[in-house]
Amino acid sequence: MSPRPAALAALAAVTLALAVYPEFGSGYGVRSTLQVFMWIVLASSWNLISGLTGYVSFGHVAFFGAGAYTGAILIAKAGWPWGLAALAGGLGACVLALAIGYPCLRLKGPYFAIAMLGLNEVLRALVSYFEDLTGGGNGLSLPTLDATVPIYYVMGASALLVTLVTYVIITSRFGLRLMTIREDEVAAEAMGIDTARHKLYAFLLSAAGPGVAGALTARDQGYIEPISVFPLATTITMIVMVLFGGKGTVWGPVLGAVVLFVAQEIVWARYPYVHPLLFGVIIIAVVLLMPRGVLGLLQIRYRLPRTI
Amino acid sequence: MNVFVTPAMLGQVVISGILSGALYAMVALGLALIFGVMRIINVAHGPLLMLGAYATFFLYSALGINPYLTVPVSMLVLFAVGLLLERTLVFRVVDAPELSSLLLTFGISIALVNLAQLLFTSDLRSVEYLAGSWVVGPLALSKARVVAFTVASALTGLSFFFLQRTRLGKAIRATSQNREVAMVCGIDVQRIHLVTFGLSAGLAGAGGALIAVIVAIQPEMGQIWTFKSFLVIVLGGAGNYPGALLGGVLLGLIEQLASLFLTTQLSEVVAYVLLVLILLVRPQGLLGGRQT
Repeated sequence: MSPRPAALAALAAVTLALAVYPEFGSGYGVRSTLQVFMWIVLASSWNLISGLTGYVSFGHVAFFGAGAYTGAILIAKAGWPWGLAALAGGLGACVLALAIGYPCLRLKGPYFAIAMLGLNEVLRALVSYFEDLTGGGNGLSLPTLDATVPIYYVMGASALLVTLVTYVIITSRFGLRLMTIREDEVAAEAMGIDTARHKLYAFLLSAAGPGVAGALTARDQGYIEPISVFPLATTITMIVMVLFGGKGTVWGPVLGAVVLFVAQEIVWARYPYVHPLLFGVIIIAVVLLMPRGVLGLLQIRYRLPRTI
Repeated sequence: MNVFVTPAMLGQVVISGILSGALYAMVALGLALIFGVMRIINVAHGPLLMLGAYATFFLYSALGINPYLTVPVSMLVLFAVGLLLERTLVFRVVDAPELSSLLLTFGISIALVNLAQLLFTSDLRSVEYLAGSWVVGPLALSKARVVAFTVASALTGLSFFFLQRTRLGKAIRATSQNREVAMVCGIDVQRIHLVTFGLSAGLAGAGGALIAVIVAIQPEMGQIWTFKSFLVIVLGGAGNYPGALLGGVLLGLIEQLASLFLTTQLSEVVAYVLLVLILLVRPQGLLGGRQT
């Protein structure tokens, strides 16, 4: 089913509004929107592997951090332009995903989830160990450069691209095969789907976005350290965003990213200790009460197509 | 990089590895039990251990109870917490797709860690008891670790005796081997799930109580134990309970050898690479899977 003209027009209007926004918006507004773009990239990417195939990645921030360090090292030590370094960040994250995904995704069951749970700690230890290259615990400073507005556009384009890729996948045969794996992996195999290879492809796709976003964030902030790019909280936040919005859908992660980011800025920033606790509660509640998230509920109530 | 390794240093490392290995084995046995019986990996296993450590800390600092006498109390408290979690939340996802149980226990884990942060703050706490070492020839054995080894070995032995010899233990193993057949034989599988979850949490609680005397206590101390316990299970073979013993001691040895030959910083990296290699070469574990 092709998207309705009204929906396309709305999408074009929002994209246009966001494209001209830096001309009018305040510095804070642009910075916040940039953050929303980043969360859309992260949440939609997590959705590609975990929402579509059902293989939970508990360490997706590892790709963000790997991208951040790849990009930052190339900028600071090799003098690369940041656009190219961002691409390299995505590529670096994909290489890491290949190294972890190849052994872990051949197996069924929780192996992948737990391997991802440990990956973050391991990368943090490695970054601290190779001090000469990464600056270790002291962090890595990038040459000063005010590129917030160009980065805003690149991050926005990345968010759009990841969403578009999700749409293309969900409406394609490839996406159907991924969802078959999620629903019944044995049946998928019996139908002749090479499950290991499909899971690996989805995983590689899901690593590229966070890698690029990590490199862009490193450039934007001008300074990175192990604690700032490998926080477990980032993984938790992207999982909560996807679950809340609706996993396995195109717009669920976008909805979750926007709503939860705004909620976080307005309300929860005042209660810094309660909000991670609340995230845990949201995960429990969504899994038990509305496994398909807000969008899932809307789809059922308003008979929306499953491909949104 | 340490180039000069004397036999005494090697001996020290092997002993330390075995000492911490018994602790790993006991905590991992808890995780293996739930996995075997309910087919769920409990991501909150490490945070449960953290609660056990806090239980010991508060009993020791507020009431002045000998920390080793708090081990059974920690176990009981965590047994109760385990029953509560199973009865209210976890039983709902036993037959659900893996995604649900992983995410649910992940949510529980986040909630527990942050609840601890709210209630106990993230200050580092310590139980100062039994410091120092016994010197035996060229070896120095940390007193706290030797006691932890002894208690953990005893509790692990007791658990195996329970699994092998008692009716309830046999019912647990039967459920783990084949739930449908166990049900046909008249075993109340719901009750077995409940008891297993409680026991598993109890073992985590005992682990927390023993670790409280060795390392600093803080809300985030637990997560790494979920990973390590899983690694132990993978080493020994998933669903293979005796395999957890071998896996525990192996992990202890590997970590210690890594810190001797490389650096302590990288011991977790070595353990991780080992996990990936094992999954690549021998995913059924060293002893093979699912013999109970």
